[in-house]
Amino acid sequence: MGYLVIIAVSGKGGTGKTLVSSLLIKILSETGKDVLAIDADPDSNLPEALGVEVEKTVGDIREELKQDTAAGKIPAGMNKWDILDYKIMESVVESPEFDLLVMGRPEGSGCYCAVNNMLRKIIETLSSNYDFIIIDTEAGLEHLSRRTTQNVNVMLIVTDISKRGFLTAQRIGNLSNELDINFQKMFLVLNRVKKENEDLIRKKAVETGLDVIGVIYDDTEVTEYDIEGKPLIGLPVDSNPVKTVSKIVSQILD
Amino acid sequence: MFEDIPVDVSPMYEGERIRSANMFVELAGPKSIGAELVQVKDNVEDGKIEVKGPELADMEEGEIYPLGILIEIQGEKLEKELEGVIERRTHELCNYIKGFMHLNQRDQIWCRVSKEAKESGFKLEHLTKALSTLFREEFPIIEAISITILTDKAEVEVFLEKAKSLYEERDARARELSDEDVDVFYGCVMCQSFAPTHVCVVTPDRTALCGAINWFDCRAAAKMDPEGPIFEIEKGEILDEVKGEYENVNLVVADRSQGTFDRIYLHSVFEYPHTSCGCFEAVAFYVPELDGIGIVDRDFKGETPLGLPFSAMAGQCSGGKQVEGFTGLSLEYMRSPKFLQADGGYERVVWLPKEIKDALVDYIPADLIDKIPTEEDVNSIKEIRTFLEEKEHPILERLKVSTEEIETDEKPIETPELEEIEEMDTREVPTSPVAYASEMTLPTSTGMKIILKNAKIYAEKVIIKRK
Repeated sequence: MGYLVIIAVSGKGGTGKTLVSSLLIKILSETGKDVLAIDADPDSNLPEALGVEVEKTVGDIREELKQDTAAGKIPAGMNKWDILDYKIMESVVESPEFDLLVMGRPEGSGCYCAVNNMLRKIIETLSSNYDFIIIDTEAGLEHLSRRTTQNVNVMLIVTDISKRGFLTAQRIGNLSNELDINFQKMFLVLNRVKKENEDLIRKKAVETGLDVIGVIYDDTEVTEYDIEGKPLIGLPVDSNPVKTVSKIVSQILD
Repeated sequence: MFEDIPVDVSPMYEGERIRSANMFVELAGPKSIGAELVQVKDNVEDGKIEVKGPELADMEEGEIYPLGILIEIQGEKLEKELEGVIERRTHELCNYIKGFMHLNQRDQIWCRVSKEAKESGFKLEHLTKALSTLFREEFPIIEAISITILTDKAEVEVFLEKAKSLYEERDARARELSDEDVDVFYGCVMCQSFAPTHVCVVTPDRTALCGAINWFDCRAAAKMDPEGPIFEIEKGEILDEVKGEYENVNLVVADRSQGTFDRIYLHSVFEYPHTSCGCFEAVAFYVPELDGIGIVDRDFKGETPLGLPFSAMAGQCSGGKQVEGFTGLSLEYMRSPKFLQADGGYERVVWLPKEIKDALVDYIPADLIDKIPTEEDVNSIKEIRTFLEEKEHPILERLKVSTEEIETDEKPIETPELEEIEEMDTREVPTSPVAYASEMTLPTSTGMKIILKNAKIYAEKVIIKRK
């Protein structure tokens, strides 16, 4: 096992985060390395984009453990770390190409300090077993604590051509600089760009202060997949989005 | 030491996970059955290892098989009570083996063997050999060890049943583990991010206020993450066994609360109750009119008989404050034999939400269960009083004693009358002080400070008024 590469994909909802994440997973899993996908956006549909079914999310497990604890159902001689560890492993969707962990619903009322503290540690241990981790996330990286410096941490911020998409991208860029997580690299990915206004959009991108690493054109095939609900991971190798993300991967790994 | 084992054996492989894409076979786990068991026995044949049922070579790649691990040990100093502690190490020691994944414990184990390990010639026999060596190294008190691995379904089924009954026996003992049985308690400051002076003290008889972690969890946490928010507290000299006051607990609490508190009673809401974080599952609150204690939990949506909902009650004591008459607690603590023992335990409880009462049916003394009212029985202090009298709740004995006290040292303080919402005549029924404080400061505006020590305040009439 070499060193771990963590790629977080963030951006405003609906801008194409899940498209980028699922294609990263597709391309990286073809390298034969161990890939863990983490769906950390409660509103995302990464599992559908990857064509897999999820039985239980980390959020479900967290609630179950809280309920079992309150009801006194945990055997006296067992500890919750091990139980949680087992349940998290159970919730991982395993496919020959990649594994997927879905964070799921946000917390309910009551105290989550203890369980979140345990989860952080457990997910960190789990993560250390992979070569690549792709995180589909709204903004931050709350689920991973500070990593060792030998990891390559990359943040890809996805935006479509809307003003609000750019504003969110800029905000995420600023926010990430303030967080503990240390991204060696942070890039902007432009999505749904029409060829005729590419220059204009690139000019706008400069204002965000982020470097553009790839441009995905407005793609009829993606629209068709979306309409039919076909997993985006199945997009053909010669399609523009797959080719663009392939180039992004080579640039990141260089 | 492990030269006859074809894979590496080292603590560095702890935390190893084997993806299904990389595994040769899965053993036990959610789709099969399995268990591990350590037993202290006589006449253990040292070094004996055996694999009953198919070896890895007889297994099909990608399949799932049952697994039983029976570890029999003997030693002059080995006692039955140590079985659980030693068994607990199986998880860690199995994980030293590269290419062997082991999760959880007891009948909830989940193992995988990697393709890589299988290809390098690893067998289950090697697992027994490695475990045998590692256990002896880890526990020198083991003088003889014999390990049997079961992979035959019928045999694992029989083994599982036997193991389950032994776990139950062990859990019964663990539930009986009490503060006196251990030298170390644990402290937790996980909540200090929002309750900067709160220090949770976790003992076998008292789980953390959030209910999420008990003494066993803390022991695991302190070991797993020694720099983390959970740490050992040597309990030190016992200052008061009933109230649950320990010399060293006081010192650690003082240190970790930045000197804000230096005394804690673990089992009382009076004088120096445990501080409360903000995430406790329930609050115990003193009901002065009845000299009793009420309890309300986070899920109770209505108002308590005091007219306050949980949230307002929680506001009284949260944020790491020590407020006499209030303490945050976990529901599990209400199953503890030491539950507020210094205050009289359930004999002092005069109100509980129905849901908690139902959940605690096996833990509330049988002769009291019908005497403690819930929101279905009563709605006000007055109604509680009537209920308690009808059911002859033992609190009435206390109230009688208090009344006798009144005759001797009565000094009523007039409560200023304001817009009256609820009025209660306290003369007809036995009563106790409206308020009691070991120390209280009266608000003044002259730059002077008036401190009353051991103040008991009695009143002919108490008016509770909404602002």
